[in-house]
Amino acid sequence: MCAARSEQEPAERADAALDTLLTHVAKGDQGAFEALYDQLAASVYGVIRKVLRNPSQAEEVAQEVLLEVWRTASRFDPARGSAATWMLTIAHRRAIDRVRTEEAAAAREQRTAQVPTATDEVAESVEASMDAERLRRCLAGLTELQRESITLAYYGGYSYAQVAALLDTALGTIKTRIRDGLTRLRACLGVS
Amino acid sequence: MRLRRRDLHALAGAYALDALDDAERDRFERHLRRCKACENEVRGFAATAAALGRAAAAEPPPALKERVLAAATVTRQLPPVTATPRWRRAAPGSRAARRGTSRTFWTMPKIATGIAAVALAAVVALAVITIGTNNSLNTERARNQAIAAVLAAPDAQIVSGPTTEGGTATVVASHLAGKIVFTSSGLRVLPSSQVYELWFLRPGKARAAGLVPPAGVTGSTAPVLASGLETGDSVGVTVEPAGGTTAPTTTPIVVLAVQA
Repeated sequence: MCAARSEQEPAERADAALDTLLTHVAKGDQGAFEALYDQLAASVYGVIRKVLRNPSQAEEVAQEVLLEVWRTASRFDPARGSAATWMLTIAHRRAIDRVRTEEAAAAREQRTAQVPTATDEVAESVEASMDAERLRRCLAGLTELQRESITLAYYGGYSYAQVAALLDTALGTIKTRIRDGLTRLRACLGVS
Repeated sequence: MRLRRRDLHALAGAYALDALDDAERDRFERHLRRCKACENEVRGFAATAAALGRAAAAEPPPALKERVLAAATVTRQLPPVTATPRWRRAAPGSRAARRGTSRTFWTMPKIATGIAAVALAAVVALAVITIGTNNSLNTERARNQAIAAVLAAPDAQIVSGPTTEGGTATVVASHLAGKIVFTSSGLRVLPSSQVYELWFLRPGKARAAGLVPPAGVTGSTAPVLASGLETGDSVGVTVEPAGGTTAPTTTPIVVLAVQA
C-alpha cells in the first residue's frame, strides 16, 4: 500500500506537466502539441480501438479526436480535471458516438455474440504498467456485477440498458452497480 | 415518464461511462448544470474512467502522428471563451442552452469540427496516406512536402463546392506558391475509358493542370498538386477520355473561383 502511495506522486507530477503542455497548445505551440501527442496518443488510440475493435476505424476516429484537441485546447479548464482526463473523455465519447451512429441492429447482435466475459478481456489487454497493475487490483476489489457492468459499458461500448439485457439484470440494479463500482474504483485509485 | 431527481443522480456513473442514450444524456446534462454535487461526482468518475482508458493504451500506427501534426498546421484553433465560463452563460432552457452553445468540461457538441477544418484535414490525411504507393519513397516524400508547403502557405485559401457528378471538390490554393492542391470525395466513379481532368481556367483560356486519380475505397481522391496558378485563375474539372486532353472537351462539372 505504501508503495502504491509513493507511485502516485510522480504520476500527479506527470499529469500536471500534461496540463501545462495543453495550455501551450492552446496558444498555437505545435511543439507542445507534438509532445502531448507523444504522451497521450497511445491512450487515445487505444481506448478508441478497444471500443470500436476495427483498427482502421479507430485510427480515423483517433485522428478526429486529436485534431479536436488541437482546435479546442483553449476550452480546456484545468480546474475541472486533468488534460489526460479531458482527452480521454473526448476520445471515449467520440468512439461511442461512432458505435451508436453506425451500428445497425444486426451488426450489434453480431458484436454481442463476440463479447466474452468482459473481465477476461480487460485482464488480457491491460498493459503490464504500474498504472494498469493498480487498476487491475482495484477492479478485482469490485463485486463481479460491478466489474462486469463497468467494463461492458466502458470497453464494450454498451449503454447501461444494453448491459442490463446482456447480464439479464434489472435496469435500476445496473445503474446503481455502475455508480457504486465507480465510487469504489475512484477511492481505490486515489482519484481526487 | 419523467425520472425523479434522485433517479437522475443515480445516472452519474452511467453518464461518465457514456452509457446513456441521447435523450437521457441530454436530460442528465441539464440536471448537471444545476447540481453541484453531481458535478463533483462526475468529475471524479470522469478521472476514473480515464484511468480505464489509459490502461487500454496501444501504439497507434506511426503514420497517424504525421497526419495529425500536418493537419494541425493548417487548422485554426478556437479562441478561448471570454464570457462567464460557467454553464450558466445561457439560461437553462433558453435557445442557446438548447442549441448546446453553453458547454461544460464533459459535455461537448457531437461534431465540433468546422467544414473547412474537416476538408483540410481530409486533404492532409490523403496527402500522407499516398506515401509508399507506386513511386519510390523519396519521390513521395518530396511530393508530400510540396503539398504540405501549399497547405501551410500564409496565403493558403480553401475553396470547396458540389459537382454535377455528385460529391464535393476542394482546392487549396496559394498564389505565393503558385500552386494548388486538389482533392474530392463522392464523385461518380468513371469507367476506365474516362478520367477527371483538372484545369486552370480564365476567360477564353484553359491550361491543363493534371489528372485526378481514381478514388480509393473511401470515395476520396488522393490530392493532386498542380503548379502554374496565376492571379485570376479559377480551377475547373471536366470529364475527358482516359489519358486526358490538352483542352477541355466537355462542360466542367465544377468551377472553383480562387480569390486573387
